[in-house]
This record gives sequence, structure tokens and C-alpha cells, in this order.
Amino acid sequence: MLIGITLENNKPDVRKPKDCAAEMAAHLDTVAKERCKASFAKIFGYFAPRLRSYALKQMGNEAIAMELVQDTMSNVWQKAHLFNAEKGSPSTWIFTIARNIRFDMLRKLQNRKEDICSDDMWPVLCEQTADPKEKSLEEKVTLQQVGELFNSLPDKQKAVIEAIYIEGKSQQEVADELNIPLGTVKSRTRLALQRLKDMLETHD
Amino acid sequence: MIKFHPSNQQLNTFSNGLMAPAESLIISAHCDMCIQCANKVVLYTEAHSETVFDESSQRLDPNLFGTMLSQITSQEIDRGAGSEPKNSTLELDGRKFTLPRSLNRFSESIGNWSHLVGKIWQAPVNIGGDTVANFIFMEKGGGVPEHTHRGTEMTLVVNGEFSDGLADYDSGDFMVMDGKNIHTPLTKSDEGCLVFSIVDAPLHFTSGWARLINPFSHLFFK
Repeated sequence: MLIGITLENNKPDVRKPKDCAAEMAAHLDTVAKERCKASFAKIFGYFAPRLRSYALKQMGNEAIAMELVQDTMSNVWQKAHLFNAEKGSPSTWIFTIARNIRFDMLRKLQNRKEDICSDDMWPVLCEQTADPKEKSLEEKVTLQQVGELFNSLPDKQKAVIEAIYIEGKSQQEVADELNIPLGTVKSRTRLALQRLKDMLETHD
Repeated sequence: MIKFHPSNQQLNTFSNGLMAPAESLIISAHCDMCIQCANKVVLYTEAHSETVFDESSQRLDPNLFGTMLSQITSQEIDRGAGSEPKNSTLELDGRKFTLPRSLNRFSESIGNWSHLVGKIWQAPVNIGGDTVANFIFMEKGGGVPEHTHRGTEMTLVVNGEFSDGLADYDSGDFMVMDGKNIHTPLTKSDEGCLVFSIVDAPLHFTSGWARLINPFSHLFFK
């Protein structure tokens, strides 16, 4: 299976990354220029187990960790010609690749539960796009339309809603100001909101 | 000139690979535009890679890695796939914007522009995950009603200038807003302003007509 490739697996390579940076950079150069499998095996032998234990710690799952090792080392094999020793050491370059792959993997893992649409974040403000392909999209209520509906409220309810939702007053403050009981403010607010809600739903 | 940057702590967390993916994307896009932060990230990454790879000096187990090594080295090298992605542009009404490299990767995932009130345009970007990402374009005189944030909003100015009552921002500026900040983004520049924004919870409008929306927002969470 490993024809022409030596896997030096007898003893662990305990050198620090910076102590073998020059050697690894030379191997990367050979891989880039000659697609040298023996040189790649040296790089792989040093970094693959290190990437695995980093990935295990980060992802907590053996299968995902090995996927990260495989994707990272594939990138090293494919993109060795993009390595530039002047910009950084081989370990920095390989760590950067692993980091980016990890971000992508997390995005994909999260994608499965993704369900929020952007309209949720911009409630009501959304106007319909003038795109003929999207006729099925339900009509969105615009801010202006909310304003129009608001204007159609009875004056007494409008005054209470305006004071609370636009001027930001408390219900007690509104009661004191209009010289009416707090209970009346509460019921007017409730009625007005219910009315607006009904109108918005009819509008739908 | 870029005045607002991610904090050193954010850059460090990003460099270490410990940041949430959506957040990492916007930090990465800022670094595409800001050489100062890009250089910091290189330094932090160097330090982290030394530590990470030093801690784990294990023996290479041939049972685990033998097949993987031969699989990888049997791959054909495709120089085209390995090269830097070309810069494509984002278009709105005939205007073209060049995107930072990190965002350019998602150019296929950008949805249609929709027109919001107040001379605001929005295009969603599917970046995966729970976080909602959008390009927001403010035409001259356009703005978002005053609001605060139920969650965290991160914004990167991609092209143009805007003010929000707290500060003036220019291309490349990066800012984080949460429940402690109330602001009213508005642009006065003739060219308008394009920003990239990620939010993890709905905005909460705080003044004027927009306040009326809040009590009903749940009706539209369909």
C-alpha cells in the first residue's frame, strides 16, 4: 500500500516545530517542485499526529478529527507551491490551513440545524422584492403601513399607544398624565394592540 | 483610514481557531482590508502553532495514518484549484463593489437584494450556522431606525462611510454592538455605504414609528 513511501513510525519526533522549520520548509519546496512523495511523508509524519491531537481536543470526535487531518494534509499536498517561507514557518502555514478548515467544518455542521431566515432579524421592515420569480412570497407589511393602521385607531387608544410605544412612557405615567385609572390605560393598550394585530393579520 | 479594529483579544482568539465560525469570518474579512490586524494575526498564529504542535509530539500510528498518506499522495495536483480565488464583485443597481477575499468565498451564497424602508437595501448571505449575515447598502441619506440589540451585531464597512450618532466609520472599520449600545446608522455620502453585518438575534427598535414594530415582531417569525 505504501509503495515508495517510508513511514518513520519507530519513535516519536519530539523536536519543537521551530527546530525543524528549515527542514520542513525544504521538504515543502521539494513537494511543490517535484511532487516528491518521500518529502511529503516526512511532513506528514511530523504534522499528522499533531494535527490529530489538536483536532481531537477541538472537535471532541475521532471521525471529525481525522477528517480535519485528512483535509489539512490534502491541502498541504495540493498547495505546497503556495507556501512562502518568507511569510512564516511551515507550522504556522499548516496551522492556518487547519484553522480555516475547522471553521468551514463547523459552518457545515451547524448548517444542518440552520433554520432562521434573515427576515426574522429585520421584522416587518422588509418590503417585497420586485422579482417576478418570487410572487409566492407573502406580502410584507411596511413601516408606513403600520403607521397607516395606527392612524385608524380610535383617538383614545392612539393617545395611549403613542405615549407608551413612541414616547416611551410607562403605563403609570400615562395614567397620571391623562388623569385616568391605570386599569383603563392597560385595557386601552390591550385593545389597541389587539386591534392592530387583527388588522395586520387581515392584511396578510 | 481604518480607525476601528477588532480587539487584540478577538484577534488572538481568532488566530487560535477558537472563535465561532461566523465571527471568524467577519474578523478574517477585516484582516483582508487591514494590514495592521493581518500582521497581528500572523504573529499570534505563529505563537499558537508552536504551542499546539509542540504539545502533541506523538508517534505516527501506521494503522491510523498509512491509508490516509497513500490516498493523499495519489491525488493529482490541480494548480488551478490551489491558486488564489479571483475577486468577483457584488452588484446593486449597476454599482459594483469589490469584496474582501474572505467574503468573496461566499459570493455564490448571496441572495437577492430586497428594499427596506429608509433607502436601505439588504442581501442575505448564507454562511451556515445560526448567525444571520447580510450585506446592507445605505443610499445617500438612508439609514436604519434607531435600535439596540437583543444579541450581538458585528459590522464591517466594506465600501463607503456612515455615522451612527456614536462615531463616524469608513471602509474597513469593524464594530461590535450589543444591548448596551443604541445607535442610528445613517450615511450622508453620495456613493452610499455598503456594510457586511452579522447578528445572532433580532434588532430591537427604540424610537419613532419603528418602536411600534417590536410588540408585533413575533407575528412575523414564521
